[in-house]
Amino acid sequence: MLLVILWLIQDFFTVLCGGSMQIPGLFIMGIIYKILFADDNADGNLWAIWSAFAGGILWDLRWIGIPGFFTLGNVIVVLIVIQIWGALPPHGRKTGTGFLVFVLFELSQLVPPLLPVLILGGDSGWSLYLLRQAYAFPIVLLTIYFYLKNLNKLNL
Amino acid sequence: MDNTGNITRERIHGITALILALFLLGVSSGLGVVKNIVDIWGTLLIIPEYPAVLMRDAFLRWRSWSQDKNSLNEEVIKLREENARLRLDLAKLTGEKIYSDDAHNNLRTARVTLRAPMSWWNEIRIDKGEADKITQGLVMFSNGYLLGRVSSVAIMSSWVELITSSSFMIPAVIEETRELGVITGDGSGNVLLRYIPAGRGIKAGMNVSTAMIGEQLPPGLPIGKIVSEISSASGYATYKIEPGADMSKFYTVNY
Repeated sequence: MLLVILWLIQDFFTVLCGGSMQIPGLFIMGIIYKILFADDNADGNLWAIWSAFAGGILWDLRWIGIPGFFTLGNVIVVLIVIQIWGALPPHGRKTGTGFLVFVLFELSQLVPPLLPVLILGGDSGWSLYLLRQAYAFPIVLLTIYFYLKNLNKLNL
Repeated sequence: MDNTGNITRERIHGITALILALFLLGVSSGLGVVKNIVDIWGTLLIIPEYPAVLMRDAFLRWRSWSQDKNSLNEEVIKLREENARLRLDLAKLTGEKIYSDDAHNNLRTARVTLRAPMSWWNEIRIDKGEADKITQGLVMFSNGYLLGRVSSVAIMSSWVELITSSSFMIPAVIEETRELGVITGDGSGNVLLRYIPAGRGIKAGMNVSTAMIGEQLPPGLPIGKIVSEISSASGYATYKIEPGADMSKFYTVNY
């Protein structure tokens, strides 16, 4: 449900700004946030892979017109995050991971919008991509702040 | 299921999702059905996106209105300047004298909200107070002439002591002779100029204005004209002044 809301919020702000602003990928950040706090269970992180796929395809249908760009980008990001996060020992995930988490969240902002720029190109593609990164950076920092706050609560 | 099994499942699902995404990317651009799906999805999203559309339109309308307003203001300023230039040119052609009305334009206006019959010639209440930066001692005008000064200030109103009040006393000068005296009222509608040395050739029609004595009043504010000499005692004369401000008929004051 949270992911649906995040997707709709991202869509809402994209409509609101009418192309004058590049809205950060809140939906994919939500997926990563959930992966970081997910407990080990029988299905692992399959929900994350397919949520990223579904969210990406819906985003492509709404804003790109050709499904595949954000679909592929989201899945790549989720797979990288699962691999890196899974490589850490469970007790290690709860301490001293601030920089790693920053890298993972930044990855979620760098990869998905990169594919349309690389494949479709366009004169303003790169400038819009950089603009999007500039807007996304404070959101990433804010998310890390909430992550560390939640982590501290769990460790208490 | 153990952790290794989970990792394997995640990899299988991940690779499947990647292949599907690549497949979609490769083939969907050529499929006509994609366009229909895009349209249907766009139609479904109209409902959650509707508030955003409304807000964006409202903002765009406001921005457009604001730009139009600025543009109109600039146009008005240009027209005013052009009008001033034309008036000047006309005055030069016709030899007419032009008076600057800048000082008058810079004055702000307050409405008289109370003039009690019991203190008719002494004070009035106006609808401006501390909130409008009115301070005690501030000078009030009517028709460009001194009318009185603020005696007390509340947040939204103030009391103005009129020059006809017997307790109103300010230094004044006869402009033609530079003789100094004191302007005061008699509480009955008259304004008097006191303490002018007798026998100094003061005549009716001479102009009286505030003098550069005292801390609160700036000098040179017009008060009125001398009407006649009332009395002369102990070497000093008292003159009756006709105030420039219409003391019977004012509904607003300037400051």
